[in-house]
Amino acid sequence: MAESEAGTGVAGATAPVVLEMRGVTKRFGEVTANDHISIELRRGEIHGLLGENGAGKSTLMKILYGLYSPDEGEVFVDGERAEIRDPKDAVSRGIGMVHQHFTLIPRLTVAENIVLGAEPRKGFSLDLDGAVRATEELSERYGLHVDPRARVANLSVGVQQRVEILKALYREARILVLDEPTAVLTPQETEDLFGTLKELVGDGLSIILITHKLGELIGVGDRITIIRDGKVVGTVDASSTDEGALARLMVGRDVLLRVEKTDVKVGEPRLAAENLVVHANTGVTAVDGVSFEVRGGEILGIAGLDGNGQTELAEALAGVRRVESGHVRLDGEDVTSWGADARQQRGLAYVPEDRGSKGLVQDFSLYENNALKTYDERPFSRFGWIFPKVMRRRAAENLRAYDVRPADPDARAGSLSGGNQQKAILARELSGDPGVIIAAQPTRGVDVGAIEFIHRRLLEQRSESKAILLISLELEEIRSLSDRILVMYAGRIAGELGPDATDEEIGLLMAGRGAEKSA
Amino acid sequence: MSEERQEQGTPLQSRLLQIGIGIGGALVFPIIAILLSFVIGAVIVLITGNNPLAAYLALIEGAFGSAEDFGRTLVYTTPLIFTGLAVAVAFRAGLFNIGGEGQLYIGAITAAWLGVSLGGLGLVAIPLALAGCLVTGFMWGSIPGFLKAYFGAHEVITTIMLNFIGINLAYYLAQHPLRQSGPIPGTESIPYGARLPLLGLSLGRANFGILIALLAALVLYLLLWRTGLGFRIRAVGLSPGAAEYAGMGIGTNTVLALAIGGSFAALGGGVEVMGVYGNMDVPFVANLGFNGIGVALLGRNHPAGVVLGALLFGGLTSGAQEMQFATDVPLQLASVLLAVILLLVTATKLVEFIIGKRARALAGVHLEKGLGG
Amino acid sequence: MEDFLGSLGPLLQSTVRYATPLVFAALGGLFSERSGVVNIGLEGLMLISAFAGVVGSKFSGSAVVGLLVAIGAGLVFALIHALMCITFEADQIISGTAINLLALSGTGFLMVVIFGSGGTSPRVNGFESVAVPLLSAIPLIGKALFDQSVLVYLMYVLVPVVYFAVFRTPFGLRLRGTGEVPEAVDTAGVSVTRMRYYGVALSGMLAACGGAYLSMGLLSAFTEGMTNGRGFIALAALIFGRWNPLGAAGAALLFGLFFAISFRVNQQAVPIEFVEMLPYLFTIIALVAFGGRAIAPAAIGRPYRKE
Repeated sequence: MAESEAGTGVAGATAPVVLEMRGVTKRFGEVTANDHISIELRRGEIHGLLGENGAGKSTLMKILYGLYSPDEGEVFVDGERAEIRDPKDAVSRGIGMVHQHFTLIPRLTVAENIVLGAEPRKGFSLDLDGAVRATEELSERYGLHVDPRARVANLSVGVQQRVEILKALYREARILVLDEPTAVLTPQETEDLFGTLKELVGDGLSIILITHKLGELIGVGDRITIIRDGKVVGTVDASSTDEGALARLMVGRDVLLRVEKTDVKVGEPRLAAENLVVHANTGVTAVDGVSFEVRGGEILGIAGLDGNGQTELAEALAGVRRVESGHVRLDGEDVTSWGADARQQRGLAYVPEDRGSKGLVQDFSLYENNALKTYDERPFSRFGWIFPKVMRRRAAENLRAYDVRPADPDARAGSLSGGNQQKAILARELSGDPGVIIAAQPTRGVDVGAIEFIHRRLLEQRSESKAILLISLELEEIRSLSDRILVMYAGRIAGELGPDATDEEIGLLMAGRGAEKSA
Repeated sequence: MSEERQEQGTPLQSRLLQIGIGIGGALVFPIIAILLSFVIGAVIVLITGNNPLAAYLALIEGAFGSAEDFGRTLVYTTPLIFTGLAVAVAFRAGLFNIGGEGQLYIGAITAAWLGVSLGGLGLVAIPLALAGCLVTGFMWGSIPGFLKAYFGAHEVITTIMLNFIGINLAYYLAQHPLRQSGPIPGTESIPYGARLPLLGLSLGRANFGILIALLAALVLYLLLWRTGLGFRIRAVGLSPGAAEYAGMGIGTNTVLALAIGGSFAALGGGVEVMGVYGNMDVPFVANLGFNGIGVALLGRNHPAGVVLGALLFGGLTSGAQEMQFATDVPLQLASVLLAVILLLVTATKLVEFIIGKRARALAGVHLEKGLGG
Repeated sequence: MEDFLGSLGPLLQSTVRYATPLVFAALGGLFSERSGVVNIGLEGLMLISAFAGVVGSKFSGSAVVGLLVAIGAGLVFALIHALMCITFEADQIISGTAINLLALSGTGFLMVVIFGSGGTSPRVNGFESVAVPLLSAIPLIGKALFDQSVLVYLMYVLVPVVYFAVFRTPFGLRLRGTGEVPEAVDTAGVSVTRMRYYGVALSGMLAACGGAYLSMGLLSAFTEGMTNGRGFIALAALIFGRWNPLGAAGAALLFGLFFAISFRVNQQAVPIEFVEMLPYLFTIIALVAFGGRAIAPAAIGRPYRKE
């Protein structure tokens, strides 16, 4: 979405190759993450590495940085063969990496974080003043403004990222790899970042930018290499391609599958949020006065960048997180002070976004997970005593009905694939015939077949006049399932749209630009 | 589709096989820890100029050689079952109960007091006194539970601190208000009629306490796998996030798990007083709580395993005297062996070293809790 | 009033003496925990070193040799803890508890093997009190601070040295990083494993000084179980002092005061058991008041696994 000039002047076809990875292959058990990948990086270019989640981009870069060792293939830096066994080797070759999940130490200061491992010394002691000075110099030189003495814990995400970049620059990196840098940035911060990258490149650095957001690369990249299923699919010039072409290369199919939606008559409001204010774990306000209604027979989709309050909103509606002010209503009844199990008994189903540690007890069997919320009700329990046999029988039915594989009630939940785990959760939540369903990221990390299954089930519930709140980071999912779409930004509803809204319209609201409407 | 048919055919068989593999996998670690520790023990014995084989044989003979020896073993095993259960139930909830020492003492002093006050009632005094132990142990055990649930105070530290507080409290009571009128520091003796009777059968000093211990193990099994409370405890222990999302109160279950642990350990103290000693002397027994940790880990926090683990620990301690008598190897070797077992039993990568990666996956016990919680 | 002042001096002197092993052990614990490894085994390390020091002193006739042997023993057992926890990924709490049990039974075992019987060892040459000229003449605190064993003076020096090492050197920076976000340290090219081994090794050596002082400074022989929970009190002091050397030393001093009082208190007025409870009670209160979890090193207690 960032609008900047494409490319820079320095990286023409004649610029020398500073980095080449040839035939790199890496296997993890049966999975081949990188399959004979070859890429090259020219001096002064911003080279985009594009691919879907799980395509193999991060693995490739971790090999470059010495965190993994390749099963096959070689790396050449400035024409010389390089053996990179650990990050130290990579750094000594001038390679710096800015990770997707920051490796910063919150309790220490910016300067301390930057110099750790290569500290300036004064005799035995750490030259803290020297560290501060070095930080300031780098900061000035590259236009990355930070306060060297500030504690990292108090900095915003965008500033933390600057510290990560400074870490690499402090170690005199000439090749900089950024792994999904814009995943955690606001659009303004993204623009700032790209401006910084242009400056760095003007200074002679070469940059690899890993991302799955094609729009950005067209704006800021020189060349783009597309990776799909561990293989290189093509390398193109950013100036001679467009989003559609890139998407096709990335995904290998023209149009994403959309499930058939029938018209359903909409009924009364079944789930209502009134001026909800909810705090995050850190005490910061995550949901800032949100109001909406979901009616029976409709799917309300909530779109937005990760971290704008959707998680806390879902938790508050489900009864897992406290509401500071405002009300939650189920079929008209005020359940604001009710706990999660009470709301569940009242007909609320919740498919949480973190199935691994919140949706299922990984070490419990499937039948125990199936009874996770109902173990103390009949027929599973009487007078505090529970009956595993009954639980098993009921679970076996549910698992079969929801195509969970294997449909074995005694199987350990953790042994199932992501898609099957999600189906198991769905089986549990939907089998109680709930009136309201909250589904948060229901198809994250799930295989295509399971995605289709889950989408169909949600639409089924919609046909049965249930009210469904769908929270998702995948715009396609929101668009294909929702009857109405709300966009969340900074804890508020930025606006309401229909499913036929354009990417641009939704994008603007997601970026916080656009009039605030209350639904 | 054919899978379904297979399932219908022999569900019992496949269940048993599953259980068998489960137990086998679970036992890999404890067995290796035990074997390794015996090897290390043998080396130590060699270094001190003795014959390890002779030492171990004497050890086994002392533990199980005769009915009387076995009886002594049972006496040593009994309290370890209780403290082992105390640790196991807490671990199931994802908590460390290092407070077995103090909890045992609290139970002991309770029994010492009630046994004397109710002594006139004869055998009826026993269940009453032991019930009292359950109550005081429950209350004492709930303290670290509350501190953790409401203040986030890590239970490792609080239980260790409470050990010393509990022991001192018990000693104070034993030497002042409840002190016997004699030169030896300690409480009055409980009249013989109100003590746990001996088992007889030439089992020497073995008393009914072992039966109470086995009953306690059964109770824990039923609690964990047949009650709603146990379901909650296990869920909270295995995945606090999922448990919370399911509406299970983490705080309440934390308190309950530690309180129940306290009850078990206190019961152990009570049984020691009412079955073995008849009163509480100063000083009283030592390290039963800590050894309970080893017992629980060896037994993989399962009541059946705890009983077996306690038998091993009890056997070693009991046989050590015979070993020292027969071979001049100091009886502390038994405690050294127990300590080494404890040292090794959670070293998952060590086993990987020895057997290979698959074994580790078979029995993944990850107790990654430290002061970071 | 005079009577009070008169007894204050000896009280302070006792306080320093009882606090010294606690300070050593707490400083040791600091290094281990700041690197991310819990060390519940301080109690055992102190006990083993107390014994080793006596053995060393007995057979060489020199207290200094005894001290070196003690430090060596502390180092060895700390490395065992490190090996178990860091390389073999054993649970740190349990490993520490095992070290404690091993120390108790091991020293009992060796007492019989080396000295022929349990209980108390024969007397050995220890570290007598050496009065510092001039300074020890200061009224009230002079004797308390400057008429002590050499090991106490070592302790005085170590507190600022440890502070400097942890907060003002590259080593200290890396150590703290390892205990907070090991991934950050790892990707900066510093070995997490090595830093943790250093941390634990230092904890063994420092705890050993505390143990050696117990058996060769405070007393002149080894008695089975003589640490009597001091290792845990040292851990408590570390927590009370919020993992900071100055705070830990201060807390240790306070707990030393409790010890000193417990031996002087009128038994009729306050039973000794209640005074002995005080350090533990205080620690619990501190944990509750300060919310212990929020200030511990963030990565403590978990093995570090490279992907």
